[in-house]
Amino acid sequence: MFALHGNGVGAGIAIGTARIIHRPGEEIPRYNVEPQQIDTETARLARAISAASKKLKIIKTRIADDGAGEVKAILEAHLLMLQDPMLSQEPGSIIRQQGINAEAALQQYADNLEKVFNAIDDPYLSSKSADVAQVIHRIQGELLDEHGDLNSQPEGRFDGEIIVANDLTPADTVELKKHRISAFITNLGGPISHTAILARSMKIPAIVGLHGSIRYLRTGDLLVIDGKRGVVLVNPDAAVLETYKKRREKIVRSTQAMDFLHGAAARTLDGVLISLNSNIELPEEIAESVNHNAAGVGLYRTEFLYMNRSQLPDEEEQYRIYRRVLQQTARPVTIRTVDLGADKQVDGGRAHGKMITNPALGLRAIRLCLHDLSLFKPHLRAIYRASVHGKTRLMIPMISNIDELDQLFSLLEEVQQELTAQGYNYDPDLPVGGMIEVPAAAIAADLFAEKLDFLSIGTNDLIQYTLAIDRIDDEVNYLYEPLHPSILRLIKITLEAGQAANIPVSMCGEMAGDMQYTRVLLGMGLRDFSMDPAALLQVKRQVRLTDISKIKAKVNQLLAAADQKIVQQLVNEINS
Amino acid sequence: MIIERQINVINKLGLHARAAAKLVKMSSGFNSTIMLHNGDKSVDAKSIMGVLMLAAAQGAELRLVTDGEDAEQAANRIAALFNDCFDEGE
Repeated sequence: MFALHGNGVGAGIAIGTARIIHRPGEEIPRYNVEPQQIDTETARLARAISAASKKLKIIKTRIADDGAGEVKAILEAHLLMLQDPMLSQEPGSIIRQQGINAEAALQQYADNLEKVFNAIDDPYLSSKSADVAQVIHRIQGELLDEHGDLNSQPEGRFDGEIIVANDLTPADTVELKKHRISAFITNLGGPISHTAILARSMKIPAIVGLHGSIRYLRTGDLLVIDGKRGVVLVNPDAAVLETYKKRREKIVRSTQAMDFLHGAAARTLDGVLISLNSNIELPEEIAESVNHNAAGVGLYRTEFLYMNRSQLPDEEEQYRIYRRVLQQTARPVTIRTVDLGADKQVDGGRAHGKMITNPALGLRAIRLCLHDLSLFKPHLRAIYRASVHGKTRLMIPMISNIDELDQLFSLLEEVQQELTAQGYNYDPDLPVGGMIEVPAAAIAADLFAEKLDFLSIGTNDLIQYTLAIDRIDDEVNYLYEPLHPSILRLIKITLEAGQAANIPVSMCGEMAGDMQYTRVLLGMGLRDFSMDPAALLQVKRQVRLTDISKIKAKVNQLLAAADQKIVQQLVNEINS
Repeated sequence: MIIERQINVINKLGLHARAAAKLVKMSSGFNSTIMLHNGDKSVDAKSIMGVLMLAAAQGAELRLVTDGEDAEQAANRIAALFNDCFDEGE
C-alpha cells in the first residue's frame, strides 16, 4: 500500500479499480515490474502482438485484390513481422533483464532497430525502418488500448471504475458522462479547473494536481479516493480498506438521514429565519439549487461561459443561458459579473501576451471588465435583458475603489438607455451589489454600502488578501485561517455597515458553507448564507440546532480573543 | 546436404519489406535450414525481422547456406528470386 497526495475537488469517498487513460502523443509509460509479474508482462506483450496480427488480417481481407496489390504486399510483410518469433524475443528479454513494462521494452527495441537501420548507407533500405516502426506502433497501440481510450467506448464500459489520466480535456469530460465512474484523478488541474467543475457536477470525488505521480499506478490497481483530504490510497491493506468502506457507508447513510431536512425551514431554535442560498456555476446546476430547496441563488458564477473556448460568448448566447437559468426558478438569482484574470486565465478572456508576476493583484474581475468594454458591455446587456425572466440581482466582484463604482454606474446607465432605445425590456430597478473580498472594501464597507443595494462577503479572496497567503501554494496554505481575528473583524465591520445603511449583507465564500463556522457567523449577525448546494442540508441542520441568544456572549468573547488556541476552544464550546 | 552459394543483390531497393516478405515465404516452404550471411551478420531466411536486419542494399554480396534434404532446390529457387529482382521489375 502507498498513498499519493493532490487537491481533493469533490467530497466523499470512492473505492474502485484504476483505469488508466492514455492518449496518442503522450509519452510511452515506463515503470518497473515486480519479479513475480514478469511472466504476466511477457504474456501481455504476446497478447498484444497476436491482437495486432488478428486486426491486420481483417484489414487485409477487406482490401480488394484488384489494383491494391502493392498495399496488400506491404500488409503481407507486416503480417509476417507480427508472426515472426524474433519480434517478441528481443523485447521479451528486455522485460526480463531490466524488469520493465512491455510498452517501455517495446519502445527500447524500436529505438535499437532504428539505430541499425539508420546506420545503413542506402536511402531505400534505411526507409524500411518505417515498416518496422508501423508494426511496432500497432503493437504499442494494443498494449495501450488495454488501458483504455475514452473515445468511442460503449456506454457504461468504465462503470464503477476510477479514471486515471494526465489531464482531462473538456471533450473527455463529455465522454465521461457516458460512464458511471466512481471517481477520477489527474496529474494536472487545480481546484477551479474544468475537471473540478466536472467532479462537482457528477457528484463524485476527484483528486487533481497529482504532479506526475499517477505513473506509479496501473490499470486494475485497487484505489481508495478520499476527496476531502485529497489522498489516493493504492492497493490498501484489508484493514484500511474496511475502515474506508465503513466511512463510505456512513457518508451515504447520513446523506439519506438528512433527506427530511429538504422541506424543513431554516429557522433557529429561537425563531430567527435564515436565508440559505446556493452557489452555482453551470446553468444546469440551477436544478440542484431548486431540488435542495435553496432560498435562491446567492452566487451564479459566469466564468464558465468563457472557459475552454477561443471566442468570447456573444450577447445573444449569454442572454439565452441566463434566461434559461432564471426561468427555472421563482426565487432570486444573483448573477455575478465575470471574474476573469488571476487564477482564472481562460481562452475566452483576453490574452495580454505578457507575464503577470502577481495576477491576484492584477487586472482581474471588475478591473478587467471596466478595462475591456467589448467584453463587459455585451455581458451587462445580456444580464439586463434576462432580468425580466425572473428575480435578478447583479453582483460586482472585487470592488476596491469608489471610483470603480462611479464608472460602473455610468456604464449601467448607458446600457439601460441603449436597451430602451432599441426596444428591449429589462428590470429598471435591478438591484446592484458588490462583493466584499478585498480588505480595502471591508474596512471602508460603509462607503460602499451607501452606493449599493446589497453586499456579499467573498471569504476565499478576503482571507487570501488579508492574510497575504496564496491558498493554492502548498507551502503557506496552513496559514489559511478563517477564524483569524482580522478576518472576523472585517466580517463584523461589513455586517455593521450593511445594518447602518439598511441593506442586506450575505456571505458567499466557502466559510458560509462550512458548518463549523455556522454558529459563529449567526452569533455575529449574519442572516444570509450562500454555498455549494451540497452543503445546504448540513448547514440547515446546524441552523435548526442553534439558539442565537445563547451563543452571543461566547461569540463576543471570540471576537475579543487574541490567542488562536483560545479562539479554537471558544469555537468548540460554541459548536457543542 | 549443405549447399553454399554467392548471391548478389541487384535490385534497386535491396532487401526491402516486400522483397523480404517474398524471400521469407519462399524459404519457409522448404524443410532445410536456410541462412543468409552479410559480412559478419548471419540471419535465418525464414525470419522477416532477421532478413530486414541483414541490411542488404543494392550491390551487397551475400552468402546463402542451405542445409537439408531439399537444400539444393532451395538454393536454386532463392538465387533465382534474387536474380529476378523479386519479380518487381528493377
